Formats: sequence, C-alpha cells, structure tokens
Amino acid sequence: MMHRSAQCSWRAGIVLLVPLLALFLSGCGINNIPTYEEQAKAKWSEVQNQYQRRADLIPNLVETVKGYAQQEKSVLEGVTEARAKATSIQVSADTITDPEAFKKFQDAQAQLTGALGRLLAVSENYPDLKSNQNFLALQSQLEGTENRIAVARRDYIEAVRVYNTELRTFPGVIWASTLYKSDKPMQEFTVAEDLKQPPQVKF
Amino acid sequence: MLRRALLPALGWLSLTCAAAAQTLNFPPLSGRVVDEAGILDASTRDGLTQTLADLEQKTTDQLVVVTLRSLQGTSIEDYGYQLGRAWQIGQKDKNNGVLLIVAPNERKVRIEVGYGLEGELTDAVSKLIIENSILPRFKVSDYAGGIKRGVEDIVQVLSGDAQEWQDRAAERVSLDDAVSPDQAVWPLIMVVLGGVAFLLFCAIWGGFVCRAILQYVIFVMLSSGRDSSRQGSFGGGGSFSGGGGSFGGGGASGSW
Repeated sequence: MMHRSAQCSWRAGIVLLVPLLALFLSGCGINNIPTYEEQAKAKWSEVQNQYQRRADLIPNLVETVKGYAQQEKSVLEGVTEARAKATSIQVSADTITDPEAFKKFQDAQAQLTGALGRLLAVSENYPDLKSNQNFLALQSQLEGTENRIAVARRDYIEAVRVYNTELRTFPGVIWASTLYKSDKPMQEFTVAEDLKQPPQVKF
Repeated sequence: MLRRALLPALGWLSLTCAAAAQTLNFPPLSGRVVDEAGILDASTRDGLTQTLADLEQKTTDQLVVVTLRSLQGTSIEDYGYQLGRAWQIGQKDKNNGVLLIVAPNERKVRIEVGYGLEGELTDAVSKLIIENSILPRFKVSDYAGGIKRGVEDIVQVLSGDAQEWQDRAAERVSLDDAVSPDQAVWPLIMVVLGGVAFLLFCAIWGGFVCRAILQYVIFVMLSSGRDSSRQGSFGGGGSFSGGGGSFGGGGASGSW
C-alpha cells in the first residue's frame, strides 16, 4: 500500500514537472541570448541604414558646392573618395562579430565624417553658397543624419552591452557555453568619430 | 554558493549605479507646455495648450513645448531625443511625437521629431521653421512670439489636408477601442497560474531547490522593475501624458 501511493505521487510530480521545467527554463533566461542578439542586430541595421542615408545625400551636396566653390577641388575630391571607399566596404550582419571587418567599416566612416566636416567648414567661406536654398536644405538634412547616426550608434552600443553582458554573466553564461556555443561577443564602436577628427575651421 | 550569487548581484548593482550617474534629469511632464525656464506668461501657456490639444484631437500627433533652465552640459540634440524617449511623446504604434525645445540660457532651440513624423516634418522643414519663424523673434527676446509662431508652423505642417485629418480621426477612434480590458487581464492570469504551479511544485519537492528558485525570481523581479516605465494614454481635460512614442534624432536645431 505504502509503496503504491509513493509511486503515485512520483508520477504526479513528473507530470507537473515537465511544463514547469519549460516555464522555469524561460524564466532562467534560456531565450535571452537569441532575443538580445536579434535586438542588437536590429540596432546594427539602423546604424547601417543611417550611414547609407548619409552616403546618398553626398553626391547632391558635392554637386551643389561645386557650383559655387570650384577652387576647393581637393576638399571636394576628398569627400568623393571617402564616400567611394565607405560604400565599397561590404557590410553584413556578420560584420559585428568580426573585429577586423568592423574596424574597417568604422575607419572608413570616420574618414568620411572628417572629409564632410572639412567640406562644410570650407563652404562657410562662400556667402552665395551659404544663402543657396538647396544648400541649406542639404546641410540641414546632413546635420539631421549625423545626429541620427549618433543616436543609432548609441542605441547599438547599449544593445551590444546587454548582449555581451548576457553572454558572460549568470545565468546566461550557462546557456552560452552549452546551447549557444557559436554565439560570439559583438563589437562596439570604440572612439566617437567626432572626437577623432575635429572639423578644421580656417580663418 | 553564496559567493557565486553575490558576484553577479554586485555587478548588477554597480552597473545600475553607473547608468544612474550618467542619466540626465528631466523636468516632470506637467502638461503640453512645460515652462521650466519660466519665459511664458499664463495666457500664452493656456493658448498654446489649447492649440496643442486641438492638434492631438485632429491628428493624434503629440506636440509638446518645453523650455529648459539648463541642458546639463550636453548638446540640445543629445538632450532632446532622450527627453522625448523619457516622456514617451507620441502614440506607441506611430511614434508621432514632436518636441519644441527652448534652452534660453544656452541660446539653443530644437525641433525634435519622432520616428513616425520624420517624413512629414523633415529636417529641412524643421530647419526652415527655426530659421524663419522662431529665431528672428528670439533675437529680440520675444520668446512667447517665437514659440507661438513656431508652434503654428509645426501644426500647419502636421495638419496636412482635411482628408488626412479625417482618416486619422477615424484611426484614433479605433486606437481607443484597441485597449480592451481583456488584454490587460491575460498576463495577470498567467502570473497567478504560474504562482500556483510553483507552490504545488514546492509542496512536492520542497526545501533547498525551492528556496534557490524563489531567490532568483525575486532578484529578477527587482532588476526588471527598474526598467518598466509608465505607459501613459492621452487623457482628456487637464491630465496629459505621453502615449509611448519613441525618437531617433530627427529634426533640426538652431541658436541665436
């Protein structure tokens, strides 16, 4: 009699345990790593998106400036070259886990930021250009895009911080070392671009 | 065992402390016009509030005017999008919020545009409004006039044509209906069921495992409680709160 009832409660326990185990596993963050990974990837595509938008604005800007400031050939060429270099780099979702590719992307974009800063600084010297409506519109769009890039980068850095932290802290570290072995930490932007190359203003 | 639990707890604590040290202080969202710098008189404030309430009624767009005593050492662009996110201006599924931010002490003004309105109130249009309507008045210290004109222009851009208003008004009604009490109750039921199941589990297994899990659950609840932020709805009459909208750095700035 005793033996039987003990077996019964064991069975009941196991029946209860199976759905509970699933519940607890999700409570223990078994889904966190893929969730955070997807979030960080989404933020990364926003970063790419905004850089692309900037690249799309540049040809128009260069054309407009050319009309008023032809003698600034070297600055204009610098922007065109930097843009060509930045857009030639193949970027994918894998770029963020590959330190070398990521650094290449970051450097190319930083170079473009610097070249653009020089172009805008130089255009200050041309009053006709500065009062051109087309130029003003392009300039404000470019400023807006730079600002969006800054926001997107910061959102990405935050998402990566959360993801990388999950890979290395309890309980995420358990899942990282068992179920998600192939998941690598993601790269963060190192130095703020605008700090790297301050725009040169000549008087 | 204790040591292993202590380490992540300490790490978590120091992380939240570091994050807290970096965050900016935002004024409370006391209405559609938040005059922290004290540059608007009561009648202007009331007039603006009415205009802004009408705009939301017609288009569901939330436009908020805010004057700041200080930018706390950061740029107005940096402050702006964070303030918009903190206040959650704009409807949650449309991100259709706009902030007109004035920092008289730093002599900076900005129109911060939520994700959903970047196509209508573009950077270039925002810049034009700032340059043509706001800055000329700010330069002669006519803050009330500049803000009024800026708000009028933004409202004009956002209002579009009559057909669009009607479409949006229809959407707004469905938006109101969308939040039914049924949906709000479900998560609660889940939590209660989960709790009951947990207690059953404890009754059968008991002891050490239970206590460990309970401790972990409490830890998780404590840490997630920090992140959950208020989800406001737009109220009629006096009370006003953000609808859950978000910002990504759209808009334009100017200085005088």
